[in-house]
Amino acid sequence: MTRTHDHDHDAHAAIQSSSGVNEFEVLEQAVRELAIEKGLFSAEDHRRFSEWAESIGPSGGSKLVAKAWVDPEFNARLLADGTEACKEVGIDWLDPTGVGTPSDYTYFYVLENTPTVHNVIVCTLCSCYPRPVLGMSPDWYRTPHYRRRLVRWPREVLAEFGLHFGPDVEVRVHDSNQKSRFMVMPMRPDGTEGWTEEQLAAIVTRDTMIGVAQPKADWTATSSPSAG
Amino acid sequence: MNRTFGIGDRVTVKNATSMFHTRTQAYTRGKTGVVVEFRPDWVIPEDEAWGRDTPERGGREEPFYVVRFKQKDLWPNYTGFDVDTLETEVAQRWLDPAKENAK
Amino acid sequence: MGSTPYRILLDALDPGAPAETDLPELDHTPDPWESSMQATCECLSWRGTLDNLDRRHAEDALGETLYHDFPVHTRPAVVTAHELLDRGVITEEELRARMDAVRARLTRQ
Repeated sequence: MTRTHDHDHDAHAAIQSSSGVNEFEVLEQAVRELAIEKGLFSAEDHRRFSEWAESIGPSGGSKLVAKAWVDPEFNARLLADGTEACKEVGIDWLDPTGVGTPSDYTYFYVLENTPTVHNVIVCTLCSCYPRPVLGMSPDWYRTPHYRRRLVRWPREVLAEFGLHFGPDVEVRVHDSNQKSRFMVMPMRPDGTEGWTEEQLAAIVTRDTMIGVAQPKADWTATSSPSAG
Repeated sequence: MNRTFGIGDRVTVKNATSMFHTRTQAYTRGKTGVVVEFRPDWVIPEDEAWGRDTPERGGREEPFYVVRFKQKDLWPNYTGFDVDTLETEVAQRWLDPAKENAK
Repeated sequence: MGSTPYRILLDALDPGAPAETDLPELDHTPDPWESSMQATCECLSWRGTLDNLDRRHAEDALGETLYHDFPVHTRPAVVTAHELLDRGVITEEELRARMDAVRARLTRQ
């Protein structure tokens, strides 16, 4: 697709360099201010969602997995009723509006990986993601590139993330096209015997709960790729 | 609404004309899988999209199911392994019982 | 759909920004403005101006075509603005004026 607009590079470069301000930051603020002025939503609405968006991250999901690994009864509760079990680690799917966000609903299911089944999640229609437990979705998760290809060529896509399975492992793709939201419970790796929940949570990274990675005893969410 | 299908039933996704605002993916139309779980009665997305998001507002609720497909049944020349599957959720209105000799 | 890109939005793109290609390369730590934009999108959907599903479909359609040079993480901002412009909720003049004012505020010494 060609674009034929005259792009005045000099003027544009001047804006970038003289102000040092990110134009998208400017755009975001301008849109928000205009929207509030026009009564499309209130500043208080935005504050609530903003606060919620900043508060969520993958640590909630990591805690769920670590707790399930050390406590078989919690594991059973988590698999039976994900939404309810989330409350035990302080996550309420009804936040921040009291009825949940417009996108996340309240039907949360955890998918347990086994030696013969590897789960991976996607939303082909629109990038639904279990935000209350994992935070905001990664950019790549939202691209048509991932969404169209994971359902069709799952092993190829997993291989791009460095994950390979033999013919004895069922790769099970979950396309969350309706109201359910999913998270993968990866298998606990060897070498973690006797670890505390905190130590275990540190190796359960976001990508292991989407299903494009597996936890390793020597790799935590905060490890730099060039460390070690 | 009564549940038509039970766990373990083989079902085929209807090849109905694509209704506006449906969430039944094109790649599942006409394909056969097995019911593996029930989901609650939800308002169908075709109604939700028009603001009829609760029964009080005219949204029709019906049973939903988790249907598991073999990937080799979904895609021609599937390049993975025979064991591979895909699960997704389908509204009852979109499902027919699988024909006895369906693949 | 069949609309054209808005000049005010095209101008936001830094021509020197590297292109993202492979999936793992698209990993990126969100800036505060991105979280704020997510909240704006939720509010627009919650209060009835622009439904999340419609906006996500537009992100796919426009992000792959009219705004295909833009980094993926900017799509919510660019596409939401585009949709609001297309629907006449805001005008280009309004947006341009407000962006000038915001930029001036952010760079004020």
